[in-house]
Amino acid sequence: MSNSPTDVQPLTKSRIEYDDTPVRQFMIASIFWGIIGMLVGVLIATQLGVWQANFKTPWLTFGRLRPLHTNAVIFAFVGNMMFAGIYYSTQRLVKARTASQLLSRIHFWGWQAIIVAAAITLPLGLTRGKEYAELIWPINIAVAVIWVVFAINFFWTLARRNEPSLYVAIWFYIATIITVAMLYIVNHLSIPTSWTHSYPIFGGVQDALVQWWYGHNAVAFFLTTPILGIMYYFLPKAAERPVYSYRLSIVHFWSLVFIYIWAGPHHLLNTSLPVWLQSLGVIFSLMLWAPSWGGMLNGLLTLRGAWHKVRTDPVLKFFVAGVTFYGMATFEGPLMSIRSVNALSHYSDWGIAHVHGGGLGWNGFMAAGMFYWLAPRLWNRRLHSTGAANMHFWLGLTGILLYMAAMYVSGATQALMLDATKEGGTVLAYPNFIEAVTSTKILMHIRALGGLMYLAGFIMLAWNIWKTARGAEAVNGSIEVFVPEKDKRMGLIPGFLNAPVIYTTLLLIFISGWAALPRLGSALCIVGILGTCMGMSMNIEFSKKGWGDWYERLLANALPFTALTTVAVFIGGLAQIIPTVMVNTAGSIEGVRQIPYTPLELAGRDIYIREGCYNCHSQQIRTLVGDVLRYGEYSKLGDSIYDHPFQWGSKRTGPDLARQGGKYPNSWHYFHMRDPRQISPGSTMPDYPWLFTAKADTLALPNKLAVQRRIGVPYPAMTDAEIQQRCDTQAGLIAADLKNAGAEVPPDREIIALIAYLQKLGKAEKAAPPEPAKTAAN
Amino acid sequence: MFHRIIVEEWQRALSILSITLFLAVFIINFIRVRRMPRATIAHLESLPLAPDDHDHAA
Repeated sequence: MSNSPTDVQPLTKSRIEYDDTPVRQFMIASIFWGIIGMLVGVLIATQLGVWQANFKTPWLTFGRLRPLHTNAVIFAFVGNMMFAGIYYSTQRLVKARTASQLLSRIHFWGWQAIIVAAAITLPLGLTRGKEYAELIWPINIAVAVIWVVFAINFFWTLARRNEPSLYVAIWFYIATIITVAMLYIVNHLSIPTSWTHSYPIFGGVQDALVQWWYGHNAVAFFLTTPILGIMYYFLPKAAERPVYSYRLSIVHFWSLVFIYIWAGPHHLLNTSLPVWLQSLGVIFSLMLWAPSWGGMLNGLLTLRGAWHKVRTDPVLKFFVAGVTFYGMATFEGPLMSIRSVNALSHYSDWGIAHVHGGGLGWNGFMAAGMFYWLAPRLWNRRLHSTGAANMHFWLGLTGILLYMAAMYVSGATQALMLDATKEGGTVLAYPNFIEAVTSTKILMHIRALGGLMYLAGFIMLAWNIWKTARGAEAVNGSIEVFVPEKDKRMGLIPGFLNAPVIYTTLLLIFISGWAALPRLGSALCIVGILGTCMGMSMNIEFSKKGWGDWYERLLANALPFTALTTVAVFIGGLAQIIPTVMVNTAGSIEGVRQIPYTPLELAGRDIYIREGCYNCHSQQIRTLVGDVLRYGEYSKLGDSIYDHPFQWGSKRTGPDLARQGGKYPNSWHYFHMRDPRQISPGSTMPDYPWLFTAKADTLALPNKLAVQRRIGVPYPAMTDAEIQQRCDTQAGLIAADLKNAGAEVPPDREIIALIAYLQKLGKAEKAAPPEPAKTAAN
Repeated sequence: MFHRIIVEEWQRALSILSITLFLAVFIINFIRVRRMPRATIAHLESLPLAPDDHDHAA
């Protein structure tokens, strides 16, 4: 094998000083933003039990703060932690200083600027209305630019490395960089209507698929793969012994990277997503059990012979618990993607328990373990208080268990109550949604308490690390290395223009052609398959080098390896997205076609998105008895084809709104938005008094309608005056109707536009069935 | 439960093709991993344990 250490002749010996400044910066930023994100989490958890905690203030309501919480903990807390871990471990694994100090600084300050921008815009209601992808388009561009800066710095460092081999942690980092870039760009493709607003190019079912392809893989490639890389570096370091099985780590990597990308559709089971995609999501989710548990066992078994240290060492405690939570969450995830289990877990607090097991247990504890390990090294001083670190562990663990227990009980209660029927399955056992809300209210308090305990633990960590670093000297690590004489790297073109790649590609092309082409083409492809097989066997017979040599060299060469990883993750994405995009959305979609919103309704929809209503209300009636009895006929593909963005939601704190239009009079919505408890005693929904005083933004409508037309919504050409006139006419009718019901409000107020939108929900026209040939082609 | 009927013949084949592809990747990978020389494995797994002066600091 070419990358064997014996092949490398030492030429010169030199001393390298690592650049650990970014590690310190990212670590401090992670702790700071983590505490902010968790504090917001505790506040919104409190709001679910105590509606007054919304303070009747727009920027403090649940709908606007929940995206702030999720974005803060994912991108600010875990993001900064991940960068700290990557900068630290990469330098040491490749025995080279980070390539560019300038790029590291741009990366750090750029990322913090993005977080500050998110912290300002999200409470202001500036959002794209897609979960974990809420940030507005200028921030999206900034994220992409800073990610590229990070990627350049990372790959440049690999190019300057003094260690020929690439340790498996580096593989996980490469997969993270490539896949996150791909996911982020595709899911954020939008057309701006202003500096702070845009509409995604995908709509309805396409948008749902792309969103959950992104959402699921944000978990996979932002919250999992980089942390696995960190696990494979820091756990052996902390345990002072090599990883249990390096061979298993390789199988773990390839299986995880290849399978994860396919599993996104399990977030859309029993919905109007085509069944073949749902099945694909279920199958690949179940397959994820194996690599995930392989990775978990590899992590835990690394401690063989060192278990006695866990009792006293807080670093190992956090790592062991973190890896265990990883195992639990990755066992539960595939379980939840079984269709019948998903009927209970989806849209209920079960999902919330699941993500917090992963978030608090896996990400949070791995972060804490890594920070406690790093701080004494980065500041050359013993940890200020090991006792406090141990106390943090037990406080955090108790907090997680309280939180998760409350959410499991709440999730089961909600799902069972809302799906329960009687009289032979023809009548709902609990027809009023509010019964499920009031039954679980106490659990919301327990959840907030659990979150508060976890937050208190992290405040202890901040104090402990501050005390450790205060007055201490920040030190960079250094090491003596042998600079290799020969450069064994293969480069991108030689990496792919060789027999194994050419023959494998030909074989895949011919097999696909045999499956897809008509008779003659299919026959020719069989000839091609046979010819390729003969060529392969002759090549193996006569060439002096085996194909294994190419593979081994590939694994030690960053650029071809990155290309191979990209191919692995691309296949899963393309196989799902391309066929879905090819579905003829304007044609007959299950016999119904959504009626486009009027200008006033579109303005109302943007208010609905601004207030983050999708955080609590779904717009998707699943093909389940409980859903249909409660909300009406199940949602069809055509019901939301013009929804940019889709608003199917992922959690029902309140009832589904897919067929809300016309269900109640205008005055019901008026009084409900003013004081939900006047209509639904026991409701935890916030009051929205500002909707009754703020004027609806109809001036932005001409631009918005123009963009809607560009992305395929069939609006007729309208002048600005016509748009305004349509708004005025519709608003006047609603205001007059409200006045008759004793609810007087000027017609130009936001509440009027919002009522117009809510009354449109579920309105669709019948459409002719598609021609058979056309359907088959689709 | 309700049954949704949509004609998607070729898309259905994707599930089978994708699993076949994964199995191919897995098997090839597994064989390669089994055949990796012990010396290479030993070298790779020792990489995180290479000491630098930070380790003395702690």
